[in-house]
Amino acid sequence: MLSADFVIATAIGYVGLLFVLAYLGDRRARANQRSFLHSPAVYTLSISVYCTSWTFYGAVGNAARSGLEFLTIYLGPTLVFVGWWFLLRRLVRISHHQRITSVADLLSSRFGKSNRLAVLVTCIAVVGIAPYIALQLKAVTSSIQAVAGASEFGQGSLAGIDDVGLALGIAAGMALFTILFGTRHVDAKEQHHGVVAAIAFEAVVKLAALLTVGIFVVYVGGGFEAIFSRAAELGVAVDAANTFDSRWLTTLALSVAAIVCLPRQFQVTVVENSDENHLRVASWAFPAYMLLMSLFILPIAVFGLTTMPAGSNPDMFALTLPMAFGQDGLALLAFIGGFSSATSMIILESIALSIMVSNHILMPLILRFSAGSSGDGQGVTRLLLNARRVSIVLILSLGFFYFFFTRDSDALAPIGLISFTGIAQFFPAVLAALFWREASLKAATSAIALGFVFWVWCSFLPSFQSVSPAVAMLLAHGPWGISWLRPEAMFGLDGWDPLAHAAFWSLTVNVLTLTIVSLLTRQSALERLQASVFLDVFKRGHHARGNFVLGSATANDLYFVAERVLGERRAAALFETAAREAGVGADQLDPTPEFISRLERELAGSIGAASAHVMLSKVVSGSDISLEEMMQMADETQQVIEYSQQLELTSAELRSTARQLEDANGRLRELDIRKDDFLSQVSHEVRTPMTSIRSFSEILLEEPDISERQRQHFVGTIHQESLRLTKLLDEILDLSALERGERAWENTPTDPQAALDRALVVCEAALRQHGVRLELGERAPAALVEGDADRLCQVFINLIINAIRYNNAPAPVVRVQTAVRSGSYAVEVVDNGPGIPTGERTLIFEKFSRGKRGLTEKGGAGLGLAISRQIVERMHGTLELVDGPLPGACFRVQLQLAC
Amino acid sequence: MDRSRLIPAMLVLTILGAMLMLPPLVYVFNQDIAHFGVRQIVFYLFALWLALIIGTALLARALPPEPADPDAGEGER
Repeated sequence: MLSADFVIATAIGYVGLLFVLAYLGDRRARANQRSFLHSPAVYTLSISVYCTSWTFYGAVGNAARSGLEFLTIYLGPTLVFVGWWFLLRRLVRISHHQRITSVADLLSSRFGKSNRLAVLVTCIAVVGIAPYIALQLKAVTSSIQAVAGASEFGQGSLAGIDDVGLALGIAAGMALFTILFGTRHVDAKEQHHGVVAAIAFEAVVKLAALLTVGIFVVYVGGGFEAIFSRAAELGVAVDAANTFDSRWLTTLALSVAAIVCLPRQFQVTVVENSDENHLRVASWAFPAYMLLMSLFILPIAVFGLTTMPAGSNPDMFALTLPMAFGQDGLALLAFIGGFSSATSMIILESIALSIMVSNHILMPLILRFSAGSSGDGQGVTRLLLNARRVSIVLILSLGFFYFFFTRDSDALAPIGLISFTGIAQFFPAVLAALFWREASLKAATSAIALGFVFWVWCSFLPSFQSVSPAVAMLLAHGPWGISWLRPEAMFGLDGWDPLAHAAFWSLTVNVLTLTIVSLLTRQSALERLQASVFLDVFKRGHHARGNFVLGSATANDLYFVAERVLGERRAAALFETAAREAGVGADQLDPTPEFISRLERELAGSIGAASAHVMLSKVVSGSDISLEEMMQMADETQQVIEYSQQLELTSAELRSTARQLEDANGRLRELDIRKDDFLSQVSHEVRTPMTSIRSFSEILLEEPDISERQRQHFVGTIHQESLRLTKLLDEILDLSALERGERAWENTPTDPQAALDRALVVCEAALRQHGVRLELGERAPAALVEGDADRLCQVFINLIINAIRYNNAPAPVVRVQTAVRSGSYAVEVVDNGPGIPTGERTLIFEKFSRGKRGLTEKGGAGLGLAISRQIVERMHGTLELVDGPLPGACFRVQLQLAC
Repeated sequence: MDRSRLIPAMLVLTILGAMLMLPPLVYVFNQDIAHFGVRQIVFYLFALWLALIIGTALLARALPPEPADPDAGEGER
């Protein structure tokens, strides 16, 4: 017969064995990267930490009480692993990229590295897991009590110790073991190879134990058929009529969420994963493990119900059945199996939670208050480890207190489901983090917080019903008698199963809040950046880009930070590698954004993404990072948008350039034509006098007997034509010299009225000759302009002569008027001639352009207006053709007044 | 089979698996029949479970290996 002392001694010995295994595993994993500890088999076995004492004891009890319902707890995770490609693979890849260390870190990292969200998730996880840890304590306590109660040796050293004391002892022992193992050193990726090795071993032990008990039960029961037939005869049947109700759906959904979000499952599946390809094996091997674990649950439950005395605790059938048949060895194996499943859960859960608590709550506080003080190289590492130790004690204490308050209340499975419902509050946010780009920080935070509030009200609080009359009152009548606020009948939704009720309200509120707030809020630049890092993690060529702008950070500053967190050895190795890659000495390392990002990821492995980010932000850019600059490096979508905007801009520029080119081309063609015109005009203008000169000189040469009078006439003509030619060439030279700005003159204060008067005198003869009447219009007061008197006179003469020459009106009139308007002096020369057709208005100032009316006219070479305009422009004035008071043309010269 | 067909097959397996263990499809096999003293529904659920495991194993095996992740490890592995 087993005695309590012997069982406890065995348990302690077993823990010692685990200790040795973990120690050896750690050494082996560190020494040999290709050890079997990095195999998919060990990975799969470590995931089966999912099967806790809830499975070992609780599932049997659950099957005895509610039939097939226990299966949902394993079918849900099966679905997740069958669909590993879509969810788990993504989680693992992202977590490797971003050095994610927990589910809190995952959510915080995705939603803009918000530490507030991480704190919220951590707190909820700690509170939500407390019932689950209590479940393990309760299971182990009950199993020891079961052995002791049946023992003929009595309680042994347990005499006088009640189950509370026992649970406290167990919790303390677990805390000690976890601290010894989980917090020996800080790993960059938060991987605990030794612990995983021990957990894998425990997975084998608990499976072997349960299978052995199952086979034994089937053997003594005379086979499956006999067991079930006998049960049917006794009226004990697995009821399946009401199995597939809302509870079936709820527990299935909760277990789907739990396999992803439970801190220890996230730890073993995602964080401890050393090779993505291990998921391929785990995808079928882990469901297969759960299938094997479930295989004998029903026979054990049914056989227990039919053979054990009425009132026995069905949760303990796996242990009490072998004892009832006098199989002490088998009972001990069963006990060790149950103990195994409880210890592995407690150890891993408290490691995972302590990472969250220390990274997201304790470390930020410590960093804040020790920012100024300079510590030695190992300072932060030691602080971190101590923070974890404190967290582990805190977490186990919470579990113990939950156990203490609710120890009499319920069977195992419902306690576990309370935890599942609490942890499931993370699931919508996790899904949104992975698949919904628009999900925002505010949405995730408020969704989780609200879901948590509903969970506390509808699920957590009612579990204290049996211990607190106040809670019982609350359940029956609602707070202050408000019946629609009753925790198990919110908004009058009465008569539901409490679990389905709590899960429905908390998750509905959660999902709705997440969706609606996401649609209503805007993401910050960092959130957008992280969203794209998460969603595009499988895009080819996608690399996590640096989130840092190079500021004033020196390698020394960064090294100081790295040394404090990572310790001297790892920091030095990191910096030396970077320096070697950059091809410079370690003291000349120039911190690039890539290097800073890498450093951030390393730090994130030790203290969480948010803390690492805050820490490096402080170093890199003084106090904060410019969001605008971060936008520059923002997500791919943003870049695509910017790129297409740039393209659009460029193409708009191109279009306008093309238009300009087209205009220029047209202008070139025009100029080309003008040049041809110019050349033909020049040759024409030159040829006429040349022809006459040549012909007259030929006459003079070839006809010697020519009269002196005629000779005189011919020579005179030749002379005249030469003068004309010279004058033409002079004008051309003058114009081109003016155009090229060669002919310089000093602009001096000049009286334009005097110049105009002189011009009028010169033109007097021409006026008379053509019979043109000169009208003198308004006259400006005396004024001075910047210019050259002679040149100005030349311009006026030109304008007046033109007005005379082209005027074919019956009573030709030329009017000259002057005025001073808004700081400038204006002279207008107006005629009542035919005017200038609209089409020619811009052309008349061009060289040789006399307009149509001038084509037949013999006279100037058409250079007058062109020269005049050049002259006026040199005086910083304008010469324009404007609409005048008379029907003909009106030329206006405008000159700025000299001050 | 290539990847483009394997991945939809995995999705179908997952969704079909979920549908077959939820109402209303689960009722199809919830008849009042017993084999070897065990109700049909128990056999059905375990058979479905086994089929999912085998299907996943086959698909995971058929899936070509992942292209190397350029960022993973950083020389630590």
